[in-house]
Amino acid sequence: MKRKIQFDLEEITPRREAVLDHQGIPEDAEVPQRILAIFEEAATIFADLARPRGLFADINEVEFGEVFPGEGSNAADAVVGNVFPKANNLALFAATMGEEVSRAIADLFDRNDFALGVMLDAVASMTADRTSEVIADHYHADLVAEGRAAPADHVLGYSPGYCGWHITGQRKLFDYLTPADIGISLNDSCLMSPLKSVSGVLVSGGIDVHMFKAGYSYCPQCKNASCVARMERLMASEQGNA
Amino acid sequence: MDLLKEISEALQKGDDAKVGELTKKAIDEGMVPKEILDDGLIAGMDVIGKKFRDHEIFLPDVLLSARAMYAGMDLLKPLFLQGEVPSLGKVVLGTVQGDLHDIGKNLVGIMLKGAGFEIVDLGKDVPPEVFVDTAEKEDAGIIGMSTLLTTTAPAMVRVIEILKERGLDGKIKTIVGGAPVSQNLAEEIGADAYGYDAANAVESVKGIAGV
Repeated sequence: MKRKIQFDLEEITPRREAVLDHQGIPEDAEVPQRILAIFEEAATIFADLARPRGLFADINEVEFGEVFPGEGSNAADAVVGNVFPKANNLALFAATMGEEVSRAIADLFDRNDFALGVMLDAVASMTADRTSEVIADHYHADLVAEGRAAPADHVLGYSPGYCGWHITGQRKLFDYLTPADIGISLNDSCLMSPLKSVSGVLVSGGIDVHMFKAGYSYCPQCKNASCVARMERLMASEQGNA
Repeated sequence: MDLLKEISEALQKGDDAKVGELTKKAIDEGMVPKEILDDGLIAGMDVIGKKFRDHEIFLPDVLLSARAMYAGMDLLKPLFLQGEVPSLGKVVLGTVQGDLHDIGKNLVGIMLKGAGFEIVDLGKDVPPEVFVDTAEKEDAGIIGMSTLLTTTAPAMVRVIEILKERGLDGKIKTIVGGAPVSQNLAEEIGADAYGYDAANAVESVKGIAGV
């Protein structure tokens, strides 16, 4: 099954506080009016130019076992390699904000309007990240409706370029998913165009499937640690449901 | 008030129109362009850099000041010999091969330019050879490499290897930065410096440039 997703911009656009926090401005800070005005302008440009769209397609474990190794450059202990065999369902996904937003960001930098350019970049990046969560929600809803997953299961996305899954893994992922259908292409370095795009695998399963200790060979170099925050959110949601 | 101080203060407020107007006035009054640059524009950015480092202002404040600085520099540039603004040194910057994320690299470039360095921005997805070839061709003393993805460290390593192969290590210094990069990684791969954010990168570049 391959399904295209149209997003509701209001549903995926980040809150002002989150965008400012992304730029190192804490929620409790007294933010100058001129910075708030820059955010408002960026949000308006984004709403005008963003064309968010996404898709996902089921893939079975055997097929993903062929996609995941990519061109043989993954870390030996890549997280996804340990996670996907335990999943009850898998799907590949991709989403994009469209070309116009990326072009607008570049134009702002060319005009030395750095503050607005960075703000728009932050809005676009955070929205792109959010689309993967929304696609995961759609996939989970489909699985539950079809009786293939329990409502209490969790669907999380994992992407090439992170956690030991080498970026060259994109090529096989694209061969299978064909995100050209929604306007995403790959360059020779396996990077996506438009820039504000995301891709990866959706892994469905119980909380245990997604829990791991961030002690892999590449973890000490990572300052991102979004995996840890994500696992903490999962645990919190489980406790909330208990 | 002293005109150069006025330029510096307008720049600190991020008032690009005022900086342009005052810079033009300084030029018309016959002030030496290098003085306007050093004691007006760079002096103002220096204050901004320190305030940002000390968490007194936010990133957008810095970027508004950077735009104001560029407004002044655009007026000064034609007045320097062959249009080349005197600099503290030349830095070749780029996002490494295998990565298209360039916002961090752009911020570092803006801050370095504000501090008085000349920037050769190679953009994103830059092959290792291009970093070194450009640094040699441009006679740059520093290569700055940025990445966001966690799987692109080998591209940084390759740049450092090429410098060694060509006997340029020590002559051309390297600085690395980006979300998955740490001081430990920088040391492990043999980079000369590490910048954890744009303001810190300026301090680190000044350190390895010896200025």
